[in-house]
Amino acid sequence: MASSDLMVGLEIGTSKICVVVGEGRPDGTIKILGVGQAPSRGVRKGEIVDFETAMKCVHEAVVDAETKSDVMIRSVYVAISGSHIQSFNNRGAVTLPEDRDEIDEQDIEDVKINAREVSIPAQNAFLHSIIQHYHVDGQDGVLNPVGMLAEKLEADFHIIHGVRTRIQNTIRCVKELPLEVEDVVFSALASAQVVLTPNQKGLGALVIDIGGGTTDYILYVDGAVKQSGCLGVGGDHITNDISMGLRIPMTRAEKLKIDEGSAVLGNCLPGETVQLRDDSGFAGKEIERETLNTIINLRLRETFELLKKKLEEEPFINYVGEGIFITGGCSHLKGIAHLAEEVFELPARVAHAQTMSGLTSAFENPQFSAAIGLIKYAQAVQTDRPRPRRFGRIFGKLFNGMRLS
Amino acid sequence: MIQLSRNYTLPEREDEIIPIRVIGVGGAGANALDRMVLDGLDKADLVVANTDVQSLASSVAAAKVQLGRTVTRGLGTGGDPELGYDAANESADEIRQALADARLIFICAGLGGGTGSGAAPVIAELARESGALVISFATMPFGFEGKRRMAQANEALVRLQESSSAVICFDNDKMGDIVAPKAGIHQAFAAADVTVSQSVRSIVNLIQRPGLIRIGFDDLLSALRSPNARCLFGFGESDSDNRAYDALTQALKNPLMDRGRLLADAANVLVQVAGGPGMTLSEVESLMQELNRHVGDETQILFGTAVDGRMGNRMAVTLISSLAADGAVVERPVFTAPAAAPKPTYIPPVEPKAVPPAPVPAVSLDEDIGEMMFTPEPPAQPERPLKTIEAKMSAPEPELEIAEPEEFEPEFVEPSPAPVLQAAPPPALIEPEPEQPRVILPAKKKALPAVVEAKPAVEKIVQAKQEVLQFESVTRGRFEKSEPTIVEGQDLDVPTFLRKNVRVK
Ligand SMILES: Nc1nc2c(ncn2[C@@H]2O[C@H](COP(=O)(O)OP(=O)(O)O)[C@@H](O)[C@H]2O)c(=O)[nH]1
Ligand SMILES: Nc1ncnc2c1ncn2[C@@H]1O[C@H](COP(=O)(O)OP(=O)(O)O)[C@@H](O)[C@H]1O
Ligand SMILES: [Mg+2]
Ligand SMILES: [Mg+2]
Repeated sequence: MASSDLMVGLEIGTSKICVVVGEGRPDGTIKILGVGQAPSRGVRKGEIVDFETAMKCVHEAVVDAETKSDVMIRSVYVAISGSHIQSFNNRGAVTLPEDRDEIDEQDIEDVKINAREVSIPAQNAFLHSIIQHYHVDGQDGVLNPVGMLAEKLEADFHIIHGVRTRIQNTIRCVKELPLEVEDVVFSALASAQVVLTPNQKGLGALVIDIGGGTTDYILYVDGAVKQSGCLGVGGDHITNDISMGLRIPMTRAEKLKIDEGSAVLGNCLPGETVQLRDDSGFAGKEIERETLNTIINLRLRETFELLKKKLEEEPFINYVGEGIFITGGCSHLKGIAHLAEEVFELPARVAHAQTMSGLTSAFENPQFSAAIGLIKYAQAVQTDRPRPRRFGRIFGKLFNGMRLS
Repeated sequence: MIQLSRNYTLPEREDEIIPIRVIGVGGAGANALDRMVLDGLDKADLVVANTDVQSLASSVAAAKVQLGRTVTRGLGTGGDPELGYDAANESADEIRQALADARLIFICAGLGGGTGSGAAPVIAELARESGALVISFATMPFGFEGKRRMAQANEALVRLQESSSAVICFDNDKMGDIVAPKAGIHQAFAAADVTVSQSVRSIVNLIQRPGLIRIGFDDLLSALRSPNARCLFGFGESDSDNRAYDALTQALKNPLMDRGRLLADAANVLVQVAGGPGMTLSEVESLMQELNRHVGDETQILFGTAVDGRMGNRMAVTLISSLAADGAVVERPVFTAPAAAPKPTYIPPVEPKAVPPAPVPAVSLDEDIGEMMFTPEPPAQPERPLKTIEAKMSAPEPELEIAEPEEFEPEFVEPSPAPVLQAAPPPALIEPEPEQPRVILPAKKKALPAVVEAKPAVEKIVQAKQEVLQFESVTRGRFEKSEPTIVEGQDLDVPTFLRKNVRVK
C-alpha cells in the first residue's frame, strides 16, 4: 500500500468473502476505493473448517479487490465471528501511588489490564476491552480522566473474548496468503461502526447482523457497548430448514428463500403456491407459499427469541431507545424487521452502512456492513495511535489473552 | 554423632493424620492448588477461594468458596485489593466453615492482583482465629508485571505477615532460572506453580509422614521464624546410586536456597530426610555431613527422618529455613547461652571428623532399627523446660548429639522480641508429656463442608446431545462439518419446525 491512510477490511463470512479498500481523508471521512468478493467455501458458522479451500477463496476476493481498487493490498483488518465469542462487563481499578495525585496515561493502561483480571476459559484469548465509563474517586461517567486529581481510578469495560485457536486459525489463513493482519475485530462491533451513528449509540441501539452461519449482535446504551455475542445460527439454517421441510436441494432452497421467502405469515392467499422451476426453466414441484414462510418464520422467530432471552439476562435491553438495526445478508428477507418488532417489542429496521463517499452501490448492501465497518474501525484506531504498530497489536492481544492479563 | 534413641515409637497409624487444609486464594492460588492435585496431595484437604466464578468452576479442588457474591458478582476484583478485602469479609462465614477443624492451614496466593492480595490476609486472620497454625505461601509478581503490582504485592505481604504464623514468600523473578529465559509468561507461572506445589506437598508430607523422628509444627515454626522472614526452601529427590548426595544437591539448587549459600546465615534449618525402608543410617549421616558444610557454625539443625513405603528406592530431602530480611541480624530466639551439663540438641556434628563412622553401615531403617541403632547413653532428661526443642519433638526421641556440646544449649530462653512471624503455637500443640507424640491429636478427618457446588454445565449439554441423537443422521446436512450449535439443550442445526413439531408438507 502506498499510503498509510489506505485501509483494508476483510470479512471471511460463511457465505461470502468480502474485501473493502478504503481511504481515510484528512477531514475524517472515508472514501471506499473498491470492494472485492468471492463466494466462501470451507467456512461454517463463521469459522474456518477447511483451511486450504478457505485460503483460496480469500485469495480470490483479495485479488478482486486489488483489481477493483487498483491498490496493492499488504495488510488487512479482519472480522472475526463464531459462537465461541463471548463477552462480559467488568470493572478495573487502580489506586494512585502516594506521591502522585494526577491520573496519567499509565493509569489508563493499568486499569484496563486490571479489568481483564478475570479468568476466561484457559483456551480463550481477549479480543477487545472496550471502555464504557471511568469513575474517578467514585464520580461516575468521566470520559477522559487523564490529568484529573484522584486517589482511585476505576473503569468499566466490555470485554470480548473467544477461543484462541479459532481466532488464530483465521489469522493464519490470512498470513499465509501472505498478508499482514493489522487487527482482528469482532464482526458485530465492526458492523455497528457503520450501521449506527454516534447519536444512535448514545440513545441506545441493538445491532443484529444475520449472515450465513451466524447471528452476531452488539448492544449500545449511553454510547457504550454493554452486550455482544454470537449465535451460531444464520441464513444457512433457514435454507437447510427449507431444503429439509420441502425436500428440495439446498441450492433450490436458497433460491426459493431469496426470491420468494418472507418472515411474516398471513400475507398470502389461502392455497397460494410457488412454482419451482428447474435450471432448464421447466415447471417443477409446486410449493405452498404459507408453508415456505412458516419454515422461515419459525426459524427466525426462534433465533430472535433466543437472542432476546440472552439479552434479558441483563437490564440493558430496556434502555435501547433507538431500537433494533438488522443487517447482514438475511436482513434482505421480507418482513424480518416486522418479526423482530413483534418478538422484541421494540422498533426495528433494516440497516446498511451509512453514507460514505465512493462506490455507493457496494456499501448500500447490508451484506457488507462488517467489512465496511472494519474500515471505520481501522480509521478510529489509527487516529488513536498515529504510528501503525502492526505486530504490537496482534501480539499484545494474544499475549493479553494469557493468564497475566 | 547422630544417634537414635531406643525408645522410639512405631510410625503413626494411618488414621493419625493431622487435619491439614490448603486454601488457594485468587487466580494464582487456584492454579497452584490445581497443580498440587495433579502432583498428588492426599493428606490434606484442598479449598479454593476466589471472587471469580469461572476460575472456581474450573478448579479441581473439592471445596470451593465464592468470595464476595454481592461485591464482585462472580467476576474478579479487577486488580483491586480493596475489593478482594471486602469480598473476603463478606464471605467470612463460609471461609470459617471451610477451615473449621483444621490444625494446620496453608494459604496460597499470588500477591499483586486483587483477590489474592486483598483476601488472603483476611483469610489468614480467620484461620488464626480458628486456632490453627497458619502458614502462607505467597508469590511476588515478576518484575515485568510492573511497579504497581509490585507495590500492591508488598503491601499485601506486610498484611499477610501480620496475620499468618509464618509466610513463605516466593519471588517469581528468583524462580526465573528454573524457566528457560525465553519461556512465555505461561510457562513462567506454571513453573512457579510447580515450586509452590512442591513446597506445600513436601511440608505436608513432612508432617504427615510417619516419622521415626517426627517433625512437628513448632520445629517448622522455629525454622521459619525470622523477622520479615525470607523463606529458604529446598526439596530434592533421587534414586541414584548416590541418592543421598544427589537429593541434597538438588534441594540446595532450589532458587529459594540460592545454591545453599544463604543457609550460612540461617539461625535454624529444618531438615527432613525421607526414604523407603531401604534407607540406611549411613546415608542419612553422610547427607547431614554434607549439609553441614553449607550451614553456619551457629546454625541449629532441626532434624527429622521418615520412612515411607511408597518412596521405594527414592530418598527425599526437604530443607526449610528463613533469613531475616535485608541481612538483618538473625534472632536466635530459642537457643542461646550455654549453660550447665550437655543436653541433647539437634545439632549435627560441626566437624566432619567429629562424626564417627556409621555404627553399622548400611543398616536398613526398618522397624528393627531402634534396637540396632541405639544411643549408648540416653541423655538425662530431668526438668525439661516445656518448650525446649525436644519437648517439641515427637515421641521417637532421637538425639543428635553435638560435637562441642558446651557451645549449644537447648535451654529455653524467652523468645526474644517477637518477630512479626512469631506465633505462640496454639495451646493444643504443646504436649506436657514428651513421651507422647506431640502434634498428633488424632482427630478424625472430617469431610469438608461442601461450600459451593460448582458444577459445570456439562450435564445439561450431555442431556441435550442425547435428546438430539434421534435427528442426527437425517438432519446434519449442511452442518456436517461444523460443531453443533447447542443452546439451552437444543441442537439448533435441526430444523426449527422439526423440533417444534410443526407439520410442514
Ligand atoms: N504461580 C502463579 N502465579 C500467578 C498465576 N497467575 C498470576 N500469578 C501471579 O499472581 C499475581 C496475582 O494474580 P491473580 O492471582 O490472578 O490475581 P487475583 O486473582 O486478583 O488475586 C500476579 O501478579 C502474578 O504475579 C499463576 O497461574 N501461577
Ligand atoms: N435477498 C436475500 N434474501 C434473503 N436472504 C438473503 C438475501 N441475500 C443474501 N441472503 C442470505 O444472507 C446470508 C449471507 O449473508 P452475509 O451477511 O453475506 O453472510 P456472511 O457474512 O456470513 O458471509 C445467506 O444465508 C443468504 O442466503
Ligand atoms: Mg457477516
Ligand atoms: Mg485472577
